[in-house]
Amino acid sequence: MSLRGPIDTFEIEPEIPVRKEKAAMPRYMVERTFPEGLEIPSTSDGLKACLGVVDKNGSEQVTWVRSFVTDDHGKTFCIYDGPSPEAIRRAAGLSGLPVDSISEISVLDPYFYVGGAA
Amino acid sequence: MPLLEREGLLDVVAGLLAQAGDGSGSLVLVAGEAGSGKTSLAREIRARAESRVLAMEGACDPLTTPRPLSPLVDIAADPEAGLDDLFDAETALDVFARVLDRLRTTIRPILLVIEDIHWADEGTLDFLRFVGRRVADTKAVVLCTFRDDEIGPDHPLRMVIGDLVPRATTHRLKVEALSIQAVEALLGESEFNATELHRLTGGNAFFVTEVLATASSLPESVQDAVLARTGRLSHEARKVVNAVSIAPRSLSVDLAHALSGAEPADVDEAVISGVLVQTNGDLRFRHELARSSVEDSLPPAQRLADHRRMIALLQEEETADLARLAHHATRAENGELVVELAPQAALQAESRGSYREAAAWYRSALEYSDLVEPDQAARWRIALGRSYRVLDQQLDALREQEMAVDHFRQTGATVDLANALVAVSTTRWSLSHLVEGRAAVDEAIGLLEPLGESSDLAHAWYCAGYHWMLARRRDESKDALEEASRIALAVEDEETGRLVDYIFGTTEVVMGDARKGISILEETYKKATNVGDEFLRIGALGMLGSGGGEVRLYQPAIDALNHAIEIASSHDLDSGVSYDWAWLARIHFEQGLWDQAVYYAERVMSGPPGRGVISPVTALGALGRVRVRRGDPGARQALEEALRIGASCEMQHIWSPLCGLAELAWLQGSTDEIPPILGDIFERALATDSPWARGEVGFWMWKAGAIDSPPDDAAEPFALQISGSWRQAADVWREIGCPYEVALALADGDEDSMLEAVAIFDSLGARPASQWLRSRLRDLGAQSIPRGPTEQTRSNPAGLTTRQVEVLGLMTLGLTNSEIAEKLFISKKTVEHHVSAIYGKLGVTTRAKAIAWAGESGAEK
Repeated sequence: MSLRGPIDTFEIEPEIPVRKEKAAMPRYMVERTFPEGLEIPSTSDGLKACLGVVDKNGSEQVTWVRSFVTDDHGKTFCIYDGPSPEAIRRAAGLSGLPVDSISEISVLDPYFYVGGAA
Repeated sequence: MPLLEREGLLDVVAGLLAQAGDGSGSLVLVAGEAGSGKTSLAREIRARAESRVLAMEGACDPLTTPRPLSPLVDIAADPEAGLDDLFDAETALDVFARVLDRLRTTIRPILLVIEDIHWADEGTLDFLRFVGRRVADTKAVVLCTFRDDEIGPDHPLRMVIGDLVPRATTHRLKVEALSIQAVEALLGESEFNATELHRLTGGNAFFVTEVLATASSLPESVQDAVLARTGRLSHEARKVVNAVSIAPRSLSVDLAHALSGAEPADVDEAVISGVLVQTNGDLRFRHELARSSVEDSLPPAQRLADHRRMIALLQEEETADLARLAHHATRAENGELVVELAPQAALQAESRGSYREAAAWYRSALEYSDLVEPDQAARWRIALGRSYRVLDQQLDALREQEMAVDHFRQTGATVDLANALVAVSTTRWSLSHLVEGRAAVDEAIGLLEPLGESSDLAHAWYCAGYHWMLARRRDESKDALEEASRIALAVEDEETGRLVDYIFGTTEVVMGDARKGISILEETYKKATNVGDEFLRIGALGMLGSGGGEVRLYQPAIDALNHAIEIASSHDLDSGVSYDWAWLARIHFEQGLWDQAVYYAERVMSGPPGRGVISPVTALGALGRVRVRRGDPGARQALEEALRIGASCEMQHIWSPLCGLAELAWLQGSTDEIPPILGDIFERALATDSPWARGEVGFWMWKAGAIDSPPDDAAEPFALQISGSWRQAADVWREIGCPYEVALALADGDEDSMLEAVAIFDSLGARPASQWLRSRLRDLGAQSIPRGPTEQTRSNPAGLTTRQVEVLGLMTLGLTNSEIAEKLFISKKTVEHHVSAIYGKLGVTTRAKAIAWAGESGAEK
């Protein structure tokens, strides 16, 4: 606040600077193997289990984007946004999910280059 | 005037005071812009609590350089507080402990208000950290106010707030601007338009009330509003107001009379008009904004004259406060007084641990350096350099020290020049400028030797020995240290003798008989404890940690590092602890405990920035190497970042991350990339006496086919494996405790040992190594290769992660989730998630059952 000029409106910045910007988060693909086969019932219990995973991921700033499951439910390929591979592993640990491998990925689809894009 | 729109805040604090009465204390941080009404809020809280609560108040000063521990000085002066002997204590830490004790043993709950902590000196910031961490079991509410719009991103208060806010006992309140409705309510009969007034003032409580007090037309700014009000006073009363304005906080009525020459009636007029407030014998403005408005409006000549008169008046009072006098001296541009008082104020600040303030005082003194002997000014520069080094501002320290060197060179003052050169050399080493550092200390020794044995000469030889230790040159280091020891003994300088032992022990650890070195360091630690030398205590532990870690004697290293961290945090000495965390990261990486290694590395990387490069280099190196071994993304980035940060560091800080890049290349099948990566560091390692550097770097060079026999004096397990004795190598690695290296050695053996290695790689989660070895086995036609790797956790039947084992262990000790969170430096929510994961894996539903399971299986340490 200036002592001499008129009062300006101004932004008060938050006390604690936000450390990680959402926009810059890498995307990862996680491969998982379920020797007994993964079973998520399409009931309210199943819904609860999925939402539970979402909630636990949040504490590590990890976002579950989508998963692909093989026919025999023995393997999944899961896409996550998160700050680091270690956060992905911790989030998986919180939900008791196995991790075979983690890869950093970016998108490529057949129409990516159409119209001179990117 | 009633407080508007503050009921919510008042309720919160009333509730906290009630809890304090039950023995559950808290820290309240009240933020708000200048003039928003934080002080009024604090006053209202106090008024409502009446005599149910014992209130203590202290404030921080807007002095040019703050008085150390100012709010505690205020509190000690209050007879009701019962802390009259507070400053009889010996150290700042004792002062804090006495205050804490008072907050614990009080009968009535205590409301301890500390105002304006955005002006807090370093000692007060330490106090806030100290008390904020321990307030839970007191019967007090510690309430601090500050201007959140005046603390920029580098403000030291931010770090303290960042440290305290995650705690359950810390509460943050914000005093917001007034709404239009509130402004309307305040208007009452006045003719102003509420919306206009709200727009002009932004709802700032102080400004609103100032405007309403002047009553004629809307002013343009705060200063105009304040001056409009003071302008209506008589000439005499205004003199009183001006006098009070130049004092940083308040002025006694007597001094106000003396300075302004006014009569009691004039003082009364100023008070009645509302411009000044009188409490006991002191006059002050209603608000700092008003005070600075008036002071800034004084004609410069008059302001100078007033400050000078103030000095004269204060000096007549015998109890004049040093910092306050020095403040006026600076504002009065009274050079003679500044050079007399500022260095004293600096020493006072140093003894209270406020190095930022000490540095500011030395700088003030140096502004008038032409008034003193040039030698004196040069010595101030060396003292200033010392303060900068404590604050880790190495470049600033170097600049001051080199100016001192230049001066003493000209005057030919040999001993001063030598000591200045030694100071320069230690700063150079902190900056990793090894060549320049060596040159400086060599020159110092050359100057001092002809003068015979002395403490200064012993210290210079000690510094030379330290340098050679950093350069990993064993013989040169020992020679220098022996000379230092001999001279120190001759002149009975015990302190230098202890420092010599400390570095000699370190030299033995990293370049000689490691176990002998460890016992020397442990002895040094004991001696330092006996004489109360805190820096050497923590230093000895640090060397045990990093030195022991470097030579893979993990147990004594881990113990020492944990101990150092514990001491540092109980003394709230947070700087310098980063390197301890970083070494815990590296050691746990080498032991195959990768989750823990990541935890420690992340602690370093999320800590305060700009505290020297060796911590992030070590931490990122460990993180990168974990990623390499797991096959996780980001391995190359982390290692390259470590090497970028550590570009000018000594060999011992960067050999491990370089080996990480070499290992990555090997796992990816590009062994031809290894010699370019390691060629340079290999030569440097061979030029030093470090067996573990020669061993590990040599090992990867051998894997790349660049050498075929072990380097001389390479560490045993590496030398054995390079010579083909893979089984013995594996045994040695097992004893040391490096499972991944055990597997690497076994992988050089026959089919059975290779299968054993695959199992080890799988249990560690070392996917790339496991895949490489499996495909080798297939190529060799092996039959019984186990199925694909599955997620397992080492030696843990229930499949708990290391973190979960930690949490379960603390649960069995009876800790609550909040206590576990505090102990592990994670959030309570994360602990709760771990607990529910633990229940899931153990197949139990209650805490008691989980603890019972742990007892039966003895699974966790």
